[in-house]
Amino acid sequence: MEWIETTGKSIEEAKEAALDELGVDEQDAEFEVLAEPKAGLFGRMRGEARVRSRVRPTAPRPKDDRRNRRRNRAGGAAGETASAPGAVATTAVSAEASGSDAPAAAPAGGDPVGEAIAEAAAAVTESPADKGRPAGSGRRNGSASAGTGRGSRRATEERNEERDKMSNVDVPLEEQGKVAREFLLGLVQEFGVAAEVTATVGDEDVIDVAVTGTDLGMLIGPKGTTLLALQDLTRSAVQQKTSAGNGRINVDVAGYRRKRSEALARFALQIAENVKATGVRQALEPMSAVDRKVVHDTLTDVDGVSTISEGEDARRHVVVVPAED
Amino acid sequence: MSETVDSDVPEAPRATAVLTYLATHLVDGPEQVSIESSPTRNGVKLSLSVAPDDMGKVIGRRGRIAQSIRSVVRAAGAREGVDVSVDIVD
Repeated sequence: MEWIETTGKSIEEAKEAALDELGVDEQDAEFEVLAEPKAGLFGRMRGEARVRSRVRPTAPRPKDDRRNRRRNRAGGAAGETASAPGAVATTAVSAEASGSDAPAAAPAGGDPVGEAIAEAAAAVTESPADKGRPAGSGRRNGSASAGTGRGSRRATEERNEERDKMSNVDVPLEEQGKVAREFLLGLVQEFGVAAEVTATVGDEDVIDVAVTGTDLGMLIGPKGTTLLALQDLTRSAVQQKTSAGNGRINVDVAGYRRKRSEALARFALQIAENVKATGVRQALEPMSAVDRKVVHDTLTDVDGVSTISEGEDARRHVVVVPAED
Repeated sequence: MSETVDSDVPEAPRATAVLTYLATHLVDGPEQVSIESSPTRNGVKLSLSVAPDDMGKVIGRRGRIAQSIRSVVRAAGAREGVDVSVDIVD
């Protein structure tokens, strides 16, 4: 299922753990607070924060996420109309099989923090992904997975910020790709660079839009920040023009993202070898959720190591640890 | 920092064009998009205003779109050697 549950000492921490697992930025995930952390005596934690989250539909999706993904579109628009705020039937069984230590606390009703967090959560439209994750990969601290259908989805937690503009419709991906391409073509023209733009409809509702040409560095920016911004704006522009609620647009410039994640995967494998050889855990530099996911995914299948994420927010980073046996 | 700036013309035509392009493609009322340019200590500030109903579209969830607009417009400014900042005014 696409909803996952994570825990942490604070709600923020639980959310961070979720973002790691989903491999998206905070803006592209929706959260639901199931339980607030309860402070015990002397600051000891009596209960962990528990958050339920998933990738926001039509939000960014890293390429590496495509496998195991099965589009769950029973009749397209019909599936969407059934998802008015609060009306969604939840069968939140996490793909995680390792949740034997699931906190017993029932979702709290009417907690103020939950309400605040839920400000960030948009209403559900349709299931974007089926995320199968291997069990027991040790990425989460104190992972919890259990059916959380009962009472966990309060209408008050639903917000529809992104989609308050219009209802979403299914727009042919080719059409969206065309709009995206035209938008980017016009944009690079304003930039005064000569570039070609191609839009390719891939499997699993992903539209890959590639900008190619020479001297495109400024469209990528430091650490790809401008590229990410371009992608954001392209998605918004397409949404504005087509009201599309389906599909997922990924923008790449000069193959930057592809090359980068390939390089990152190679790097991660190298680190894993080091860790296996030395038996010493090794922390990587802070990375975005997307990048962290590349590392996690790459090393999931590598024996002898496991990966965890540590640190808050911008300092969040992956640590490769030798597997205990 | 003793460069003279002429405040009558936008000193960052490319960045301004990019901002115009972005804004008009993100809003319902492109005809209500307007941009004012003013000099700053070391560059240009572009003040974007849109129809009140379109504010959300150029700001986005948690300012995400605004952030992206700034990032791209700044890149365009860098290309013409101008430090550009973007303000969204209502």
